[in-house]
Amino acid sequence: MSRALDRTGIWIGWAFFADLTNALALTFGYMFSRPVTMQYPDKEKWLPYSRYRGHHFLKRDDEGEIKCVACELCARICPCDCIEVIPYEDEKGNRHPAKFEIDMARCLFCGLCEDACPADAIALGQQYEFSSFSSADLVIGRDDLLGKPGKATTGGGVVAARLNTEQDVLVETSEPQGYNWWRNIRRT
Amino acid sequence: MELVVALGLIVFKVALLIAILLLLPLPLTWLERKIAGHIQQRMGPMRVGWHGLLQPVADGVKLLTKEDHIPAEADRFLFKLAPILALAPPFVVFVAIPFGESVSVLGTKITLYVSNLNVALLFVFAVIGIEVYGVIFGGWAANSKYAVLGSLRTCAQMISYEIPMGFAVIGVVMLAQSMSLLDIVRAQANVWNIVYQPVGFFVFFVAGLAEAQRIPFDLAEAEGDLGAGFHTEYSGIRFAFFMVSEYAIMLLTSVLAVILFFGGWNGVLVPLPPLLWFVLKVAFFVYVFIWFRFTFPRYRYDQLMAIGWKVLLPLSMANIIITGVAFL
Repeated sequence: MSRALDRTGIWIGWAFFADLTNALALTFGYMFSRPVTMQYPDKEKWLPYSRYRGHHFLKRDDEGEIKCVACELCARICPCDCIEVIPYEDEKGNRHPAKFEIDMARCLFCGLCEDACPADAIALGQQYEFSSFSSADLVIGRDDLLGKPGKATTGGGVVAARLNTEQDVLVETSEPQGYNWWRNIRRT
Repeated sequence: MELVVALGLIVFKVALLIAILLLLPLPLTWLERKIAGHIQQRMGPMRVGWHGLLQPVADGVKLLTKEDHIPAEADRFLFKLAPILALAPPFVVFVAIPFGESVSVLGTKITLYVSNLNVALLFVFAVIGIEVYGVIFGGWAANSKYAVLGSLRTCAQMISYEIPMGFAVIGVVMLAQSMSLLDIVRAQANVWNIVYQPVGFFVFFVAGLAEAQRIPFDLAEAEGDLGAGFHTEYSGIRFAFFMVSEYAIMLLTSVLAVILFFGGWNGVLVPLPPLLWFVLKVAFFVYVFIWFRFTFPRYRYDQLMAIGWKVLLPLSMANIIITGVAFL
């Protein structure tokens, strides 16, 4: 009995285009939902999570000396062979890199150098805006690596930003954490 | 003297009509892209002007400055003729469309229509049929397989929707006892035709979607399977002609739906100026067209034939018979 009723209900619905009406109602609902667009780079910018693997940076110890001991383990483990280290010995007899170059054009951001490092000297930071017009510019030396931004402390989210053609995209908000972009994704 | 004034008034009205029809696609493309964006949870154009309002102007400048390319193997005469053939009929049709009764400006009564043809409906369907030739010629003349496929589909599609569309409006003509659009609207002063003719409206609207070549029946230009269909080889200003023509026909179908089935400028409940009522109703139908486009997939063209011949045609016939019986 109920199945027969269901059947007739389905047929009546079919005759009055219930399925098409459902589709129209769905798209109408979507029209008034929030867009998921992130307006990068001229209005908004994504703050990376602290686990994000971006541009490498080299760390200093408490005395301000470079932590790297030039063991070349990172150069060894690098799957794309993009790290070149040349060591030297300073007056106190400590090994340090005279030359530490990373070819960002070849790097695949696996983070193995960070894992291999015995001195906790190299890590992958939060910077992700370093595109360039020439691949030669992407070979980053020791001193540049020391100046690169470190891991994000907060992050994950979208904040207000502005495009600055001289530099990168400038974050224009004092909030350390942006709004959660995922909240706009409709799950039904 | 009176003749000169009358002639001047007609020229002014036609010029105004042409200007409006040429400029209206600008906000309509913006609206279409905005609605498309929000339906797909995007924002649509945002960069040019406030919320991308100047985007159509930028697009227009781009289209006008593009190379006007004619393929080497094309039939040059037909290739040049086709966009004009597609553009002119929708403009001509609006001559017979009334937008309201009349307004008095500076003491003189000015009618809100260029002419009150007593066979306006016939005129509209006759002239709008010519537009299809633009599409067919354009596809044929380009000498490209995608374009030819597009125009072949148009040929098949045109026959299967024009006939039900013609039959669907006969019910309206029977109710108003006139083919003049003005009389049809006047006949709906109390009750709109949609109440008496829901089936007629359904057939008219589905056929109108096909007429305007919008999704779900945009077989002639099906981006997914035909590149851009009949206007694959068109660029620059000629492509813009086709686009303007497409929007003008979308507008025309909305206007016809309002005049024939939704009481034209007759309002309900809220006392608004008749012209405003008319514009609001037309805007609603234009929105429905855009809304449909981003909701439904495209029908296969044998499915369109099946809908046209096996569903719409019998329905419109039945509609005529039932209206006739009810009349007796």
